[in-house]
Amino acid sequence: MSTPAISIQNLTKIYPIPFKRERVTAVKDLSLTVEPGQVYGLLGPNGSGKSTTMKIVLGLVSPTSGRTEIFGRDSTTVESREDVGFLPENPYFYKFLTGSETLHFYGKLCGLSGTKIRDRTKELLKLVGLENAADRRLGGYSKGMLQRIGLAQAMIQEPRLLVLDEPTAGVDPAGSREIRDLILDFKKRGITVLLCSHLLEQVQEICDRIGILDRGSLIREGRLDELISIQNQTELILENAPPELLAAIQAIIAKSPARLVEQRKPQKTLERYFLDVTTPSQP
Amino acid sequence: MTATPPATQHKIFSPARVWAIASNTLLELIRLKVFYFLLIFALVVIGVLFLYRDIFQDEFQSLKDGSLGAMSIFSLLLSILPTAMLLPKDIEDRTLYTILAKPVPRFEYLLGKFLGVLLLLFIAVSLMSLVFLTVLFCRMEVAIGEATRSAHGALLNERLSAIQHDAFSESLLPGIFIVYLKAAVGASITLLLSTFATSMIFTVMMSFVVQIIGHLQSIARDAAIETVGITHLSKIFYMLLALLIPDLSAFSLVDEMVTGTAIPFDLFAKTAALGGIYVAVYFFVAYFIFMGKEL
Amino acid sequence: MRIRHFIAILMLLAFGCARLSFESHLEQEGRAHYFHGAKFDLALRQRVGQMAFVAAFSGFRLLVAEGMYLHAHYLWQKVEWGGMKLDFDAATALEPRSILFWDQASWHMAYNASIAAYDDKKQPREALRAKAQREYWKVGEDYLLRGIANNPDVPTLYISLGNLYRYKYQDHCKAADAYRQAAGISGAPVYAHRFAVYELSECPGHDREAYEKLLALYKKGKEEQLPTLLKRLGILQEKLHVPADQKIYIPPPDHP
Repeated sequence: MSTPAISIQNLTKIYPIPFKRERVTAVKDLSLTVEPGQVYGLLGPNGSGKSTTMKIVLGLVSPTSGRTEIFGRDSTTVESREDVGFLPENPYFYKFLTGSETLHFYGKLCGLSGTKIRDRTKELLKLVGLENAADRRLGGYSKGMLQRIGLAQAMIQEPRLLVLDEPTAGVDPAGSREIRDLILDFKKRGITVLLCSHLLEQVQEICDRIGILDRGSLIREGRLDELISIQNQTELILENAPPELLAAIQAIIAKSPARLVEQRKPQKTLERYFLDVTTPSQP
Repeated sequence: MTATPPATQHKIFSPARVWAIASNTLLELIRLKVFYFLLIFALVVIGVLFLYRDIFQDEFQSLKDGSLGAMSIFSLLLSILPTAMLLPKDIEDRTLYTILAKPVPRFEYLLGKFLGVLLLLFIAVSLMSLVFLTVLFCRMEVAIGEATRSAHGALLNERLSAIQHDAFSESLLPGIFIVYLKAAVGASITLLLSTFATSMIFTVMMSFVVQIIGHLQSIARDAAIETVGITHLSKIFYMLLALLIPDLSAFSLVDEMVTGTAIPFDLFAKTAALGGIYVAVYFFVAYFIFMGKEL
Repeated sequence: MRIRHFIAILMLLAFGCARLSFESHLEQEGRAHYFHGAKFDLALRQRVGQMAFVAAFSGFRLLVAEGMYLHAHYLWQKVEWGGMKLDFDAATALEPRSILFWDQASWHMAYNASIAAYDDKKQPREALRAKAQREYWKVGEDYLLRGIANNPDVPTLYISLGNLYRYKYQDHCKAADAYRQAAGISGAPVYAHRFAVYELSECPGHDREAYEKLLALYKKGKEEQLPTLLKRLGILQEKLHVPADQKIYIPPPDHP
């Protein structure tokens, strides 16, 4: 059994309110595990404890009780972050730095130097499609470009775990699609991804497992396909089916205990339609 | 690029990480065009020079006083304003999260930020000193020329010696060092305040208040040990003030140093050591608070 | 977090306790070597204004002093002697180690203001004009005496005091004493001793002493055998009835 990428055990976080006797319980006795190589979606309404959980996993906030580990190392230790790359929600980074200077900076923070940083910077800029904007200051980047440079800095030290908070928030459909493709690429390479997003359609496309938080507690957790499948229904999609075939199928169904719930033309998503009719913007 | 165990061995303390943050902070502050103020400083120095053109003695003292005053003002502003925005800006922009999510201890982050400001102050004070000393040297040369034309023999030698002594005394450069040290103490106080302050404006205001009260701390100290004519409550108040607020009047010897009074090396060394200890202690307390800060 | 803040305050208090006595000693040591803090009283506050007062004790004492000094010169152009005196009082209170401030304050009062007072066309009575003149001399003298009290090791103010006694009061004995004190300080100009002897020669009851000192100067060589010395020597030789064969200096026939 391999070491889990993230292991959260009985995590509780309580925030005292200054000058009042009340306290806010942001996370209540949370336990979950993210296996290596998975894309895990952490979902929940605003104020459900997603951000707090993420910050505790990253060691930015200390837990009131419980334990969190990254690849077996206590996440409150600095060493555990050797394995982690983080992209926060709506990051600005340092506007006065260029794209490549940003990656250089974060590379140095991870202990990289010399040719290693230069090579990684080139590689990552190519990966996220920002080679042409490498020498432009981040102050001149669009939202989508900022998210992509954010992904690049998260990857600078080749981490085994990526924590992404709303990676496509505020990004146009083309940019959003590119980011999702990158995440799927990371998954193929065996990188574990913990993803927080309100865009449930995107979560559905890329996540293997999800956990749903509400008021600090984990209310649902499991494989995505198991959770959202309607168990007693089956979907068949046919291409170029002649009307006679459809009539024959309906006749067979009528003689069986099954019930035909709906027969209709499948629809492409609005996003797919949008992408098909618009020209993607250049970085 | 595949998921592999970490490429680098974690170092408990890495000067390279600290330097990366310090140089980045310096670059940020420079790219914020803080050095435009140096133009103002140069103008102030030259303005003072032209205000006093009568006797050489006039110009040296006024030039030194005016330049020292301008250097102190600008280094105070530079020590407070950039330092006050270091943490709030990184928190607001969420850049702090991306840095601390890397294997960077909070100590190194804070140290790097603080060193960046100290570097900025060093460069600023050095550049201002260069302008000041250049103008002083030029004025001295003019005064020497005037003296050579109007006197000769023993009297000329006396006047030349007096001109050189009035212009460049031994304690001038150590005095400028104390200006830098005082600014460094100001920056460390501001850093400490910013670790628990709720806004940048609060940090800036409190820093200026501490600067003012700091020059009166010695009065509070004397009042606290006074036995006659003071109530117990007042004594406690003055004692708390004396213990919490730094004694910034300890650095007032810089006024004498720049105007030419000979200060014993022993006194200078003790004052410099006190300044260094202030910087170290305030930084350490700032780190202690920052260590437990919920982000 | 609040506990952490509380511990931080305790740390600062502990640091305060540790440094308190060191700072006290440092201050005392500093007082022995340099001026340490101006007198921040109501008079100063009224003169410099609120912001300058705050600036003065916030570490910008010299700058405020220079500002007052500059303002005094501005008032000079408007011939406001009273205002000038108040500005000089503030400048010297803020920076009593500035020789320039004391010297210039004295010069403006004892020379410029005194002459203006004597020439005051609005005052028809000469006795009152002379009285006002002497009062300004006194103000000038006071600046120099206070300046000397704050800077006892600088010859400049003693020389200015000697000049004041010499040219204004015409008190040659006091002038001689002032020049003598200047001459005794390291770095004093060479003429300080010379002036001390010249003035002594005009101080009643010191003829013999002055004569001996003039002779000593004369014997130093050509650089000291200046017209004033020769004249004073000649006068004292006559006053002391020095025999002709013992006279060192014989004045030319056309000189008295």
